[in-house]
Amino acid sequence: MFKDRFDRLLWLLLAVAITALLILLGTHSPGGGNDHSATGLNKALEREMAYQARVALLQKLYAPVENLCKSGDLQGALFRLDELARTYPGEAHSHILKGEILHQLGAREEAIASYVQGIKLSGDYIDKKSPLSRHDDIRRLVDEGLKEIGGRAKANPGNASLAAAMKNVYYLQSRLAGGCE
Amino acid sequence: MNLRDRHFWIILATGALLGTLGVLLAVWGNPENSGICVSCFIENSAGALGFHDNPRMQYLRPELIGFVLGAAVSAIAAREFRSRGGSAPLPRLVSGIFLMVGCAVFIGCPIKLFLRLTAGDLTAAAGVIGLVAGVWAGLRGLSNGVELGTHQREQGGSGLLVPAFFALLLLFLIFRPGFVLSSDKGSAAQYAPRAISLGVGLLLGAVAQRSRFCITGSVRDAMLMGLRSYMPWGFLAFCGAAVMFNIGTGRFHPGMFGQPGSHPDHIWSFLGMGLVGWISVIIGGCPFRQLIKAGEGDADAGLVVLGMFIGGALVQSWGIAATAAGVSFYGKVAVLAGFTFLLATSLLCRERIA
Repeated sequence: MFKDRFDRLLWLLLAVAITALLILLGTHSPGGGNDHSATGLNKALEREMAYQARVALLQKLYAPVENLCKSGDLQGALFRLDELARTYPGEAHSHILKGEILHQLGAREEAIASYVQGIKLSGDYIDKKSPLSRHDDIRRLVDEGLKEIGGRAKANPGNASLAAAMKNVYYLQSRLAGGCE
Repeated sequence: MNLRDRHFWIILATGALLGTLGVLLAVWGNPENSGICVSCFIENSAGALGFHDNPRMQYLRPELIGFVLGAAVSAIAAREFRSRGGSAPLPRLVSGIFLMVGCAVFIGCPIKLFLRLTAGDLTAAAGVIGLVAGVWAGLRGLSNGVELGTHQREQGGSGLLVPAFFALLLLFLIFRPGFVLSSDKGSAAQYAPRAISLGVGLLLGAVAQRSRFCITGSVRDAMLMGLRSYMPWGFLAFCGAAVMFNIGTGRFHPGMFGQPGSHPDHIWSFLGMGLVGWISVIIGGCPFRQLIKAGEGDADAGLVVLGMFIGGALVQSWGIAATAAGVSFYGKVAVLAGFTFLLATSLLCRERIA
């Protein structure tokens, strides 16, 4: 690879290119000059800001529902949620809040189904660290579901609605268990 | 079996290390039953490089970098690093894409398949049957003349490109430039400490290069030669170590329901792993083995690895990857497209005796 003048020229240019690259990397100061990595390309920061904005928007949008729940008007909260769900049909938060309210009303199977719909739309609610996390509530619901719905499903093996409810419980249990998604 | 043969013990040690560290990485922070999963790692790394936009699946997995660079260092040290390639490059690239499709529909590569099973996840049994059936079908193909062609020694050092790419990823891992993404939620936000992950990857890459250990290769050898071949012994050591450590660390939960990273569509688990087993026999190794071969300078395996990165991005972007709810419509279509590709390739790449 050092046979002739052309080889030597290639080696020389290669050394120049590598040296220039090293100088560029060595003298680079993040954020300085025309550095897109510190502005437009810092996707992590952009994403965090968008996520925080989303959380804030959800809290604002669903504040009337939360207030109705706090005042004990669960039926009114469900009615308001239905309105919001029509306006934002792909939003997981409606399903999660509906699940919470249905759980409080004692409609466990319907609550579980609503949580499943919400978590299929957004896994944030199952994460322990997320500000939207409902991990502990879901864990409680799954434990109750396994005991209560599981008991009834065993006693009535041909009951299709109980089998569907158990499928939802197992889905939530699997998501709580973690693993790759 | 010759107990005095050093190679036998290297294979056994590789299997045991893979099983042990596969469980321990989950203990140290990787997702449950997913201490080592080549397909998950590739999906995460493809996301970290901005190839897909699932914010829950973006993390540059140090283990993946370690596998390739460990194999490269080991091959160079043993003077086994050789640039070679030139055998059906595009079919291999597409094979890499469909390897990822099969893995994504099952939720895991062949290593994770057995990590799941050894943790008590009985839904993985459908995948085991599928993998064995796929390897058997691949062997039937080989015995009937289906072959992608042999590679040749290549001028120009093309085998260096994939290790160089992973060396670049190592720099990204160390210096973390702004364009490399990292999830703060979901399974990609669960990881063992970087130094440990990288160290484990380097170690496993090096021993796998020395031993040539491969999950589908073990199944293939067991079918062809039974326990006379060393590879199935390594596989048994892998399973034995994984069971032992899963029980020892309290991670053994036998059952069909509520298992981490699993779904109840058993037929599609079977088909997904069947696709992976069949492709692996045709291209000469499971996803893990392809990484190791790419590290040794095999440009053909390097193309499979690049295909796996493309596949890793596509399965997330196109909604092909299965979830705990089951396999999506697109996932099912993609698996059937994979079998169509495989069968067409078998027809076109078959040497027929006149």
